[in-house]
Amino acid sequence: MTLLHKTRLRWRALIKRRQLDRDLEEEIQFHLMMRAAHHHESGMSPEEAAHAADRQFGNRSWWKENIRDMWSMGVWESVVQDIRYAVRSLSKTPAFVTAAVLILSLGIGSATAIFSMVNAVLLRSLPFQSPDTLVVLWGNVQRQKVERRGASYPDYQDWKSQSRSFADMAAYVSGSFIWPKPGGSEQVSGECVAPGYFELLGIKPVIGRTFHPDEDIVGKTAPVVLIGKGFWQRHLGSSPEVLGKRLILNQQQFTVIGVLPAWFRGLTDHADLWVPFSSSASAADLADRGSREFPVLARLKPGIRLEQAQAEMNGISKRLERAYPATNALRAVEVSPLSTEIVGALRTPLMVLLGAVGFVLLVACANVANLLLVRAESRRQEIAIRAALGASRIRLFRQLLTESVVLSLAGGALGLLTAFWAIRLLTRTSPISLPTFLDPRIDWRVALVAVSLSAVVGLLVGIVPMLQVRSRDVHGALKESSARSGGHGARHRIRGALVISEVAVAMMLLVGAGLLMRSFLYLSAIQPGFDPNGILTLEISIPRIQPPGADSEQVHPDQRTATTARQLLDRIRALPSVLSASISFDYPFSGNSSAIRYSAEGQSVTDARTTPRAYRHRVSPEFFSTLRVPFIAGRMFTENEVNGSANVAVVSDNLARRFWPGQDPIGKHIKHGGPASTDPWWSIIGVVREMKFRGLPNNPTTDPDIFLPFARPPSAVNMLVRTASDPAHLAGAVRRAIYEVDSSIVISGVSTMKERIARYIERPRFSSWMMGIFAALALLLASVGLYAVMAYIVRQRTREFGIRIAIGATGGEVVSMTIREGMLLVMAGIAIGLILARVLTSALETLLFGISDTDAPTFIGVAVILSLVALSACYLPARRASRVDPVAALRHE
Amino acid sequence: MPQKNSDELLPGTLDMMILKTLIRGPMHGYDIAESIQRISDDVLQVDEGALYQALHRMELRGLLDSRWGLSDNNRRAKFYRLTATGRNHLVGETRRWSRLSMAVSRVMETN
Repeated sequence: MTLLHKTRLRWRALIKRRQLDRDLEEEIQFHLMMRAAHHHESGMSPEEAAHAADRQFGNRSWWKENIRDMWSMGVWESVVQDIRYAVRSLSKTPAFVTAAVLILSLGIGSATAIFSMVNAVLLRSLPFQSPDTLVVLWGNVQRQKVERRGASYPDYQDWKSQSRSFADMAAYVSGSFIWPKPGGSEQVSGECVAPGYFELLGIKPVIGRTFHPDEDIVGKTAPVVLIGKGFWQRHLGSSPEVLGKRLILNQQQFTVIGVLPAWFRGLTDHADLWVPFSSSASAADLADRGSREFPVLARLKPGIRLEQAQAEMNGISKRLERAYPATNALRAVEVSPLSTEIVGALRTPLMVLLGAVGFVLLVACANVANLLLVRAESRRQEIAIRAALGASRIRLFRQLLTESVVLSLAGGALGLLTAFWAIRLLTRTSPISLPTFLDPRIDWRVALVAVSLSAVVGLLVGIVPMLQVRSRDVHGALKESSARSGGHGARHRIRGALVISEVAVAMMLLVGAGLLMRSFLYLSAIQPGFDPNGILTLEISIPRIQPPGADSEQVHPDQRTATTARQLLDRIRALPSVLSASISFDYPFSGNSSAIRYSAEGQSVTDARTTPRAYRHRVSPEFFSTLRVPFIAGRMFTENEVNGSANVAVVSDNLARRFWPGQDPIGKHIKHGGPASTDPWWSIIGVVREMKFRGLPNNPTTDPDIFLPFARPPSAVNMLVRTASDPAHLAGAVRRAIYEVDSSIVISGVSTMKERIARYIERPRFSSWMMGIFAALALLLASVGLYAVMAYIVRQRTREFGIRIAIGATGGEVVSMTIREGMLLVMAGIAIGLILARVLTSALETLLFGISDTDAPTFIGVAVILSLVALSACYLPARRASRVDPVAALRHE
Repeated sequence: MPQKNSDELLPGTLDMMILKTLIRGPMHGYDIAESIQRISDDVLQVDEGALYQALHRMELRGLLDSRWGLSDNNRRAKFYRLTATGRNHLVGETRRWSRLSMAVSRVMETN
């Protein structure tokens, strides 16, 4: 007999249960009828015959029950029955169900939301072809510490031709393009990429083709461009005749040769267009082996491990170092997996958050277990009766378990909804910038985890009341009246343990959140060495070609930008509430600072490790006053020095101290390049304090800054505006003022200095916020749990309190007695939580700044806060205890 | 009427006798009970509830097949019929039974 047949029969029996019942009844009735007829024939009266037939058959309903059971699907059938029963019995207590489902959905929902991020960032592979073998090559320089920079074009060519570990290699670098579209120019982000880039990533154009190798030859770059589907839709109206269309980018004509899929925004994640790599810089710049501009994407050949590739690249960089000591001394190559490049920094914070949310879920479980305990308590008689009627203990357990699993699945379903909503909230509003292609969402894996989590939670919380059923004498329960059943040791121990663990976990999470928040506060309170308040930053691009129709008098483009820049500054300074404005090539946290090699007058001989390097900033004289950078010595530039391109410099403190410690640096000289360089000497006219220019909490390296007068502003400059009011409100007025000067100017990157700085601390902020939310959740759940237990205890002991009050205890005494009992549990929880917190915070160590992971004030402060909250959770039930009316309490029985 | 002195069936023998009875063709439960009783000269009194349980059990196991039809007196009745599996099962059971009963007889007849 096939299993299939049996299953079909049983299945039929299950869904056509009524039919089966009817058939069985009819079959038996037929039998009885025949038997009665037989008896009748042998001389009985019809009534006697019917009775006899009935008797002969035996216990009819018992046999029918047996047969029915046989047909029904055994386990499955009784599961359905259990579920039906569970739903029915749960629906009798809507308040309990609502509370439990809400608590569970909070726990499961937040766990699911965080897991979806972990899934997107750490579990799901990157959406590129065989992403595991993709790597990024960086040209590193070993100086004060290993510093990441990038490759130069000649180095890249040598890596490519000399290495054997890689299937292909492609340089890429972000670029920005001015696109004069009808109605005003626009700045478009893009990437300059070598032809193999798309093939390496496995990106196929949706229309057209990608670059040919012969289109990317230095000096002979083909003017071709690939556009993103989003750009195509937004700006070109999804025109099917896009191929061959001409776009003017940075005053050069490009022909569109293809459209890339909408989700792909390049490895830089904000590209809308792609041009051949060789158009990223001038042929002369690309020929400079000393430059360090871009990373290189590469794919490991099959079977080649990362270490082998790294070893080979070490050899190549050694060879290059010998061949080109001037540019390649102490330069190495780092081979780093692409996934590490993209998500590496997110790993620790995400794992910490996942751990935290797991603990929140535990607290939620403890809470629901507690609720179930109270519920089981009020159902003792029902359970006892069922047991007395012959329900086996297994069956009863299964019944209770089914109830808790049904509850938690409902919680899980609501939790999935919560997670769906939370993920959207997280990705939209979180300050953490996930690459758009990672896209945290609920996929099958997340859904599976949520559902299994709910099931496990259901079993877990269902076990707790069962411990109680086990420990109880059923007959005792039947005899007992529910109002008197207090003081059972086992029950109280379980409940106490639950409260203690809730408090402990809340304590641990609060300590974690406290540390992260204090660390974040430290970070945001860092003084960058200038006054970041009230500053608006923006980037402007002044077209170098004259707009058609402007005065025909030919002016040198540089001259023209200088004049325009001056006009802009004058116009903006005249705006109300503007205190000062400056232009500069870069500014603190603008992210485009670059370093130069320099030499100081009379310096001692240096090697590659100690070669003086500094960040050079070209600024207008107002730069210092706009940022309010304090001068230690000397003065800033004068207008005349700026206009006359005087060879003067303002340097930062570190530079002065390195070469002229204890001396007056004013009047000393430095110059661009090595000691042998023929560049003119700059004479130092001022010294400013070190600033945080390139990173928080510290600059990545301790290289000093050199400020030079901004004689000839390039076409793209940055502008800083200091205002007495809110800089964010100034943006519109500044924009209008700029357009009044020249409407063809492209404005981009408008933000306040505070926002710029915030971007450097967005991850700590995100972690501390999330941790804070989870800790608050845990605290809330723990205090609700504590409150519920205290309220229950008070209710159970109404009689006792009544007697105490009757024999003279004051309300205050009863209150303090009750509170003492609750706080005993809380203190135990806090003590355990302190130990747990030490374990958690050691995992936080790398995320903390300016604060130790054993910071005593945080630990103590959190313990105090937790105690206060717990105290108020105990106080309400305690007060109720003190108001017990002794007469009513004694009659309560 | 159940006869108190009727011999109790050995476990498993009821199924075997039902199968054997049905070899003559489809029958409803009452006929099967009557037939067994008659052929055994009223020695074997079938417990009727147990008979129906056995019928349903064997149907579930696929040894029997059932369909509703009309009885001799034109009443709707459920008729059982051997399936091929049931036939094979009967052959095996018959062999097992004769071996067993012979063995028991030998033991009992030895002085």
